[in-house]
Amino acid sequence: MATYRLNGDSDLIDNPSPRCACMLVLDTSASMFGPPIRELNAGVQSFISAINEDDMAACSVELGVITAGGKVTEQLPFTTAMHISQCRQFPAAGLTPLGEAMTLALDRLEERTAAYRKAGVAYYQPWLVVISDGVPTDQWQAASARSRALAQQRKLVVMPVGVEEADLEALSAFSTRPAKRLDGLKFREFFLWLSASMSRVSASTSTTDQVKLPPTDSWDSI
Amino acid sequence: MVARGRVVTDSLGKARRLGKRLERGGEGEIFALLDRPDVIVKWYYPDVLNKRGEELHRKVEAMRGLHDAHMTRDVCWPLIRVFDEHHRWIGFAMYRARGVKMGFLAHALLYQRYFPGLDRQQIVGYLIRFVEIVQQLHEAGVCIGDYNLNNIFCMPGSDQVTLIDCDSYQLRMGGTFYPCPVGSPDMTPKEHQGVAFRHTLRNPRSEAFSLAIVLFKCLMLGRHPYDIVGGDDPVRNLRRGKFAYGRGQRDVPQGVWYELWGVLPETIRDMFVTTFTAGAGVPSRRATLAQWHTALSDYREAMKAGECAVQLSMPSRPRRRKAVHAR
Repeated sequence: MATYRLNGDSDLIDNPSPRCACMLVLDTSASMFGPPIRELNAGVQSFISAINEDDMAACSVELGVITAGGKVTEQLPFTTAMHISQCRQFPAAGLTPLGEAMTLALDRLEERTAAYRKAGVAYYQPWLVVISDGVPTDQWQAASARSRALAQQRKLVVMPVGVEEADLEALSAFSTRPAKRLDGLKFREFFLWLSASMSRVSASTSTTDQVKLPPTDSWDSI
Repeated sequence: MVARGRVVTDSLGKARRLGKRLERGGEGEIFALLDRPDVIVKWYYPDVLNKRGEELHRKVEAMRGLHDAHMTRDVCWPLIRVFDEHHRWIGFAMYRARGVKMGFLAHALLYQRYFPGLDRQQIVGYLIRFVEIVQQLHEAGVCIGDYNLNNIFCMPGSDQVTLIDCDSYQLRMGGTFYPCPVGSPDMTPKEHQGVAFRHTLRNPRSEAFSLAIVLFKCLMLGRHPYDIVGGDDPVRNLRRGKFAYGRGQRDVPQGVWYELWGVLPETIRDMFVTTFTAGAGVPSRRATLAQWHTALSDYREAMKAGECAVQLSMPSRPRRRKAVHAR
């Protein structure tokens, strides 16, 4: 009997779970130096740990990480959470090329959803989480228009989060939903909320319906 | 988490203390009773009670009326009405389901962890029992409506199956129709797509379609019948009756899936093909529950007689080691 193994991405072949791609775009510029970058790193690690406590979510969530700190770096190409055990620490340095980082993130999301379709893997609406404590220091308007358009078409959930003195107006331009401000440095609380949201999405039997998300009061502020 | 001081009363005013919170669902929370680990309480959220409390209360009462005549321990049916300290109705008590969610059985990468030693005969045993319980519900005029593998519990090492989240079921009592107000497009037949679930009248033919998806996902270890290579999402494929397996076998996802399909008896394959192609648009073409019961029972007998493979022959591939997130 025939089997089909046409490419090396075995996880898209062996794992029958519908996928939820979750791309994190993290501002790791110099202004994040000190407690903010330390808490951000700890938050990402707690996210990975929490997702892996839920077997269904661990099979569904594919995590990608791009940092914008001086230069744009794809720290983690999309990888199913069950294959990630820990996270390297990101240093804080340089300016904030958020426009370039978001463009790369949108490209990677487009490629990934195309790979899902090609492999016959169902997928939930992907998520793009962008966290910044300042303002983009490069051209970001084209990326924000592209990101916002995808959110409007309900092809992407874009979640902008501002830290401390972040420019919420600029961050909000990336999404149809206003950016939320993190209460202090509650990165861990935010990432636990994100993990709970991912668990709800991956527990849903519907790949097309909206999922009611947990309240954000554990980490956001007015 | 223990709900400290949370006390509920039954209709005779007898107070019972709640134990651990077991689940937080979309409509309410599930608590254990402190002294009765086999009994749980569903407590609807205040906003749900404010919005639809009377409607829910009426439906749960109708369900309780049906219980004695028709229901068994295989369905976690509302048994006892429950009130808060102000004597307001807040939910109901029911027996607690034992076992593991069927979603963990219908998963190529997870079933071994949750169902050690699982084989085809056991899967088919669960499915036969599941079909029997749904038949029993249908005889009582009840439709499940919202088919969800996470609401079906299977006891590893036995054929025992228990259904949970029953307060959403559709039923008719004393001339009153109580709809199933929830559902998932991925599990819903074409004729009910795009219609608000609370306005949908489920029937044995629509149920047979959703049930066939559950059967397919279990026998195919998690694949949805409308997962198609290069195609649209499962719901669009469902609406078009685009089923990749069977005749022509085009666009089957890569991997072991066609092998899993190939070991199923021809009768069962034919029933899936008809249900998911012609039956997608023509409800009368769908295999009935009685037909599924017969076919699955024959399959089980054939396995017992050594005529069909019993082992789940997922090819062993070296497990990918967990990657440290670094470049």
